[in-house]
Amino acid sequence: MSLLETQGITVRFGGNTAVDNVSVGVDEGRITGLIGPNGAGKTTLFNTVTGLQRPAEGRVLLDGVDVTRLPPAKRARRGMARTFQRLELFLSLSVRDNIRVAGDILRANTGSRVDVDKETDRVLERTGLGDIADLDVSDIPTGRARVVEVARALMTSPRVLLLDEPASGQTEQETEAFARMLTGLAEEGLAICLVEHDLPLVMKLCATIHVLDYGAVIASGTPKEIQESPEVIAAYIGTEVTA
Amino acid sequence: MTTFLTFTILGLVLGAVYAIAASGLVLTYNTSGIFNFAHGAQAMLGAFLYWQLAYGWGWPVWLALVVVLGVVGPAMGGLLHALIMKGLRDTADVTKIVVTVAVLLGMVYLSQWIWHPEEARIVEMFFGSNAKVEFSGVVIRVHEIICLVVAAAIAIGLRLLFTRSRVGVVMRGAVDDPDLLRLNGHNPERVAALSWMMGSTLAVLAGILITPIGGGALQANALTLLVIDAFAAAMFGRLRSIPRTFAGAIVLGMTATYVMAYFPSAWTWTSNFRISLPMIILFVVLIVLPQERLRGAAIRTRERYRVPTVRRAAVWGVALVAVVYLLKLLMVETSVSTFALGMTFAIIALSLTVLTGYAGELNLAPLSFGAVATIVVFHFGVVGTGLAARLDVWGVLLAVLVTAVVGGLVALPALRLRGLYLALATLAFGVFLSNMVLRDTTEHTVFGVTFSLFPNGSLIIPPLRIGPLDLRDGDTFLMTATVLFALIGVGLIALRNSGYGRRLAAMKDSPAASAMLGQNLVKLKLSVFMISAAIAGLGSVLMSSAIGSVASENFNVMAGLALLMLTVAAGIGYVSGALFGGLMSGVGFVIIVATFNDLAAANPDLAPVYQAIGSLSVVSTALLGIGVGKSPSGTVHDVVESYRSLRDARPVLVGGAVLEAALYGLTLAGIMDNWWFAILTACLVMMLPVFGRMVMARVAPDEGRPAPHRTPPELVGVDEPYTEELRRELDRELGLSGHDRGPTPGGRRPVRSGAEEGNVHVVA
Ligand SMILES: Nc1ncnc2c1ncn2[C@@H]1O[C@H](COP(=O)(O)OP(=O)(O)O)[C@@H](O)[C@H]1O
Ligand SMILES: [Mg+2]
Repeated sequence: MSLLETQGITVRFGGNTAVDNVSVGVDEGRITGLIGPNGAGKTTLFNTVTGLQRPAEGRVLLDGVDVTRLPPAKRARRGMARTFQRLELFLSLSVRDNIRVAGDILRANTGSRVDVDKETDRVLERTGLGDIADLDVSDIPTGRARVVEVARALMTSPRVLLLDEPASGQTEQETEAFARMLTGLAEEGLAICLVEHDLPLVMKLCATIHVLDYGAVIASGTPKEIQESPEVIAAYIGTEVTA
Repeated sequence: MTTFLTFTILGLVLGAVYAIAASGLVLTYNTSGIFNFAHGAQAMLGAFLYWQLAYGWGWPVWLALVVVLGVVGPAMGGLLHALIMKGLRDTADVTKIVVTVAVLLGMVYLSQWIWHPEEARIVEMFFGSNAKVEFSGVVIRVHEIICLVVAAAIAIGLRLLFTRSRVGVVMRGAVDDPDLLRLNGHNPERVAALSWMMGSTLAVLAGILITPIGGGALQANALTLLVIDAFAAAMFGRLRSIPRTFAGAIVLGMTATYVMAYFPSAWTWTSNFRISLPMIILFVVLIVLPQERLRGAAIRTRERYRVPTVRRAAVWGVALVAVVYLLKLLMVETSVSTFALGMTFAIIALSLTVLTGYAGELNLAPLSFGAVATIVVFHFGVVGTGLAARLDVWGVLLAVLVTAVVGGLVALPALRLRGLYLALATLAFGVFLSNMVLRDTTEHTVFGVTFSLFPNGSLIIPPLRIGPLDLRDGDTFLMTATVLFALIGVGLIALRNSGYGRRLAAMKDSPAASAMLGQNLVKLKLSVFMISAAIAGLGSVLMSSAIGSVASENFNVMAGLALLMLTVAAGIGYVSGALFGGLMSGVGFVIIVATFNDLAAANPDLAPVYQAIGSLSVVSTALLGIGVGKSPSGTVHDVVESYRSLRDARPVLVGGAVLEAALYGLTLAGIMDNWWFAILTACLVMMLPVFGRMVMARVAPDEGRPAPHRTPPELVGVDEPYTEELRRELDRELGLSGHDRGPTPGGRRPVRSGAEEGNVHVVA
């Protein structure tokens, strides 16, 4: 039983089925990959798992508990955290405050006496954002902004972390550091689900990969199995034509 | 039975007119994303113009109708769209709402200038109120038949338009899903322009039809606020569906009429209740409306505010108190009390700073919450009688507390929903309060206690006494109000710099991301709304006691809207914005108008000119609000930014300070009068940054202006709205030909927007 599980999730927008009967799991201590061409339904699946989108059918289980009907904030308090493909940083706050506010919310919710400032410094250091901590988030490049989103999510001490294209916009060096950080986080027991178009990165990091196309899972398996799957190659040839 | 049928028909007629008004509102909202608070004002302006043509100038009715409906209505809508609304894409909801509120106020001021409000004007029913038809005992007036027929025709017309014509199909596509429109390559601006023209015409039509039904007297404010009824009707269709809007309008019209007919007429609340019905229905609909999807920062808005540190804020606070003290020395007694009144408005404006500036939520009726506080303090906070009467601190505290609770209760139904709904709820509450509570002069007996909420139509609010501090003295009042403003202002800045303030900012910037960090948005909004209502309550109690005797006019919805508009124009994110907005709306108007009237009295030859200038300057304050669309961060922000460059130009700053001190000295010595002092000071404040730049350019010519900021390609569409133009540019840079690639090749569905695209790495 995985820490986070979807069971037969289906999402429709009008007549368009964006997510079609998807059942996948995300395990503790591992990075699970979720790939697929643009419009495959990855972001919609994340939205459904986190409660921003209501599914037409199916259930979301977190640690065995059905959370399908819970609002996003309650899911977050049960240990879910995510980043957004379309960056959702708090533009009126500095980088440091973007991260710190996650601690503020945690503190207000739990009444805990955590030292938010100290925790923020720790996360800043861990994510390598120390040098830009006091800049406005609107002044930093996209690649680093994505790391700020991850840092903000980490500040909630999540059990499962959903990353929506976190490496897009990052330079090669940034991606390398980022990969090391993810591996480290997984080793500490975090369950990570990674949506990413940088396939070499996904192949390198993930233990299991699910491939979505037209909303449905067309393949699941280890990186090696996925690379050899004829369905996946067929699905990706379409992308090659587009790009 | 006959009575029932008669009332049913009356209800249908009222519903029909609501439907006409509401469908226009829905149309513009869906095609341009702007909820037009000025819709009622457009109806009002149209009705006045119709009166002018048909009655004032005696034109034939048909000609007046052709001109007003065929020319003025569409032109008004088209102009609004072209000049103002088109520029509002990619602004925050708050900005959009405030701009339409400014249009509303501008129209009201304009109408009051052209058509003096104290003159009576009557619009008769079409064919007169005696033209009627009788069906088996049920009498219907021809005007009522016209209303029904016109509404039916519009319903059928809209239906045909939507199903049969190309542009109508596009529009309906927009009504159902605005994004789809853009995806399918239609030009949203053209459709929006058309719908503004239609919406405006529908508003004008509704205004002309409803005035005779409501008795015939043209009344600018009442007609303008009639739009609340249309809001309630539109809410039935979730502001989207026209058929449901029609159904809602009919329900609303019938209920209102039945209440009038069957509630005991001896019960004085009945007519008030009927007037307040739309607001009650609005709240019921708000409660049952399903929750919407949480939104992220769908657009990268242009609003930016800098938050000072608490220490710096405290320094400014002390400086403010000192400056006010120095200014007080220049003033005569009446000016001091006017100034003090302005300061109490500034305190009320602070309630908007925290709510709108920090949390991104709107309260369109700040003064109405203030009225609640005033009523409470009148009933529970006055000790002593006659000249010895004073407010005591506990009474004021109680009033503030009650206001916070009432604020929470009013806001609660709307908090699950988008900010627009909270704005609507507060406006509806404001109108409700003006209609029911502030007119409630009768005595009630509840549990054996006899009281009336608003005896004699006005309340005498004595000055406050806190221990030895007696605010009957004008100087003491002014300084106390100033110190209070400074304290609350510094307090708010401290709040903004705290964890709570960061949570507010997070909620404002991205509700979705903030919820994903575990923030309960309803709870946070509720708390900040209560804090805001409490501040409005405190400010209003002081305002009432500064005025001495307050009537319902003092808590007028329009005055509250003007306060909001001017505060946003000055800078809603800044405490100093509240200071300027409050002073301007509280006493600025009065001073401007009084000054020009004085001038007119002193120079009878030029009197009309001076009076016109006075009226014009009041109307043009609405332009300040409309200007918010262009510079959403407010004037204070722009001034602060211009002074920022002066930090390195010490000599200029010192020179400016010395000059100002000299001006002050001359004025204090009586060599120069206060007007000159004010004018020269204003010039100095404005010229200093310009001067500074000149001096600095001389000192360090190399450090000219930095190169214009250019967004790097990878951030295009992320930090800035992704426009068609940007897309072309990107396509060019990437060497992609064919700007209008239809559906993407390879059988891929089109991606939603460029920002979603990301980098696509291909398996090699
Ligand atoms: N809010 C929405 N309304 C309508 N359709 C949507 C919405 N969000 C996503 N879609 C559609 O759902 C499909 C999946 O989109 P998405 O989840 O963003 O894909 P991915 O993240 O894999 O690129 C697409 O066809 C997209 O157009
Ligand atoms: Mg996506």
